[in-house]
Amino acid sequence: MRRHERLIVAAVVLGLFALWEALVRAGRLDASLAPAPSTVVESLIRLAGRPEVRASLGVTAWEVLAAFLVALPVGLLLGFLLAEVPLLGSLFRPLVNFLFGVPKSIFLPVFILVFGVSIPQKIAFGVFTTVFVLITGGIAAVQSVPRELITVSRVYGASRGQIIREIYLPAMAPILLESARLAMVFNITAVLLCEIYGARDGIGYRIAAWGENLQMPQLYAALVIVAAAAVAVNEALRAVESRLGAWRQRT
Amino acid sequence: MTRALVAIRGVSQRFGADGADVVALDSIDLEIPDGQFVAVVGPSGCGKSTLLSLVAGLRLPSSGTVLCDGEPITAPMPRKVGMIFQEANLLPWLSAVDNVAFPLKLRRVAKAERLLAARRMLELTGLAGFEDRLPHQLSGGMKQRVAIARGLVQNPAVLLMDEPFASLDEQTRMVLGDELLRIWSETRKTVLFVTHSLNEAVYLADRVVVLSARPGRVVDDVSVDLPRPRSFAMTGGERFGALKDRIWQHIKSAERR
Repeated sequence: MRRHERLIVAAVVLGLFALWEALVRAGRLDASLAPAPSTVVESLIRLAGRPEVRASLGVTAWEVLAAFLVALPVGLLLGFLLAEVPLLGSLFRPLVNFLFGVPKSIFLPVFILVFGVSIPQKIAFGVFTTVFVLITGGIAAVQSVPRELITVSRVYGASRGQIIREIYLPAMAPILLESARLAMVFNITAVLLCEIYGARDGIGYRIAAWGENLQMPQLYAALVIVAAAAVAVNEALRAVESRLGAWRQRT
Repeated sequence: MTRALVAIRGVSQRFGADGADVVALDSIDLEIPDGQFVAVVGPSGCGKSTLLSLVAGLRLPSSGTVLCDGEPITAPMPRKVGMIFQEANLLPWLSAVDNVAFPLKLRRVAKAERLLAARRMLELTGLAGFEDRLPHQLSGGMKQRVAIARGLVQNPAVLLMDEPFASLDEQTRMVLGDELLRIWSETRKTVLFVTHSLNEAVYLADRVVVLSARPGRVVDDVSVDLPRPRSFAMTGGERFGALKDRIWQHIKSAERR
């Protein structure tokens, strides 16, 4: 975006918040439904200072990270296998496609039965949700490798290892990072959903409690925290992605 | 007599299992002396490209042998054979100079040394100053020049070219044809050049091998007795026309069948 476009966007967003604030103050907007931005900010500052809220954020962050670190290698390796081994591909790809489209929350009770209401349960559910994105991404990444480049490398005497290092990895990198980014979005959503559904700690657990008590300022403050964290992770991965994928840009 | 650098002896290539065999090439015999520029033409699907991939060591013939410098080709021989394809097939994430240096990298040549060699090749192919461009920043003709530089960087004795100019526009194709002749006269490689274009074949080559429709057999082996250096004016000449006509008769009768 160009500079003046950024300014316009910022002005519009600020204007909307100002309008919201004004409407609440004028009594035209129900503060119990949509508390004024100033109230939300106030609540945000208060919550951020509370040790138990910070501890909950820590728990959620740990669950999200652990699920991601498990799902990433598992999902991508499964994706590579399904793409490179034709028999496995024709056997399991329909299943993967089927499960990819199903709302995973249907399976939440299963995870509670197996793991109890626990941190491993959140991690397992995060992995379960994320892994399909990564399998699909892994398959797409392998299929994006141009066959001709493999032929070229063979003509120039590349070994199997060299073909993987010099062709497969760089060719797949942009799609792999893109899938990792998408997977992270699914992962955060899954862990939060899991915590809201039933938990003993974690920011999702707090959100559920605030929601039940209709504590709207806290709820919106939590929303801001979660959204900020998700956007930060997303943008960080996108930055890496666009650096490694600069060669894809057509100019 | 100059010795044959590439020898193709009794080579046949069949494809497909379960009885539905397709014979792509049928008992091909060709002896190509060192330094000769040979064009291979023939109707579409006559196995021209298959012939090149046999010399490249990308596949083994169903029967017969292919020799390079007296040695049977059973696998790619990157130090003896360079190959250029219809598409430049550059690695899109590498700059021009890194693409040219790629075959040397595969052989673990030290970085400084391989970049030096690559720069020299880019200079030879007229791309000095474009070393750091990425493939998507180059035109089609420039990409193909990079591919030629990559094919030459290991100083192979043989250069295989599989319709290298087919996806370029006519003007670029003519310019690159002249460039190729200049590079060839400076380096004296043995060139095996597959093309659809009779003009290109007669203009560039010392010798045009004509293959028949499937199964591909050698139906004619035409010696191009036009003087070098070749010039555009020759393409309108009587001799040029006669050679082209002789080749065209084979292709026409093959396509009609």
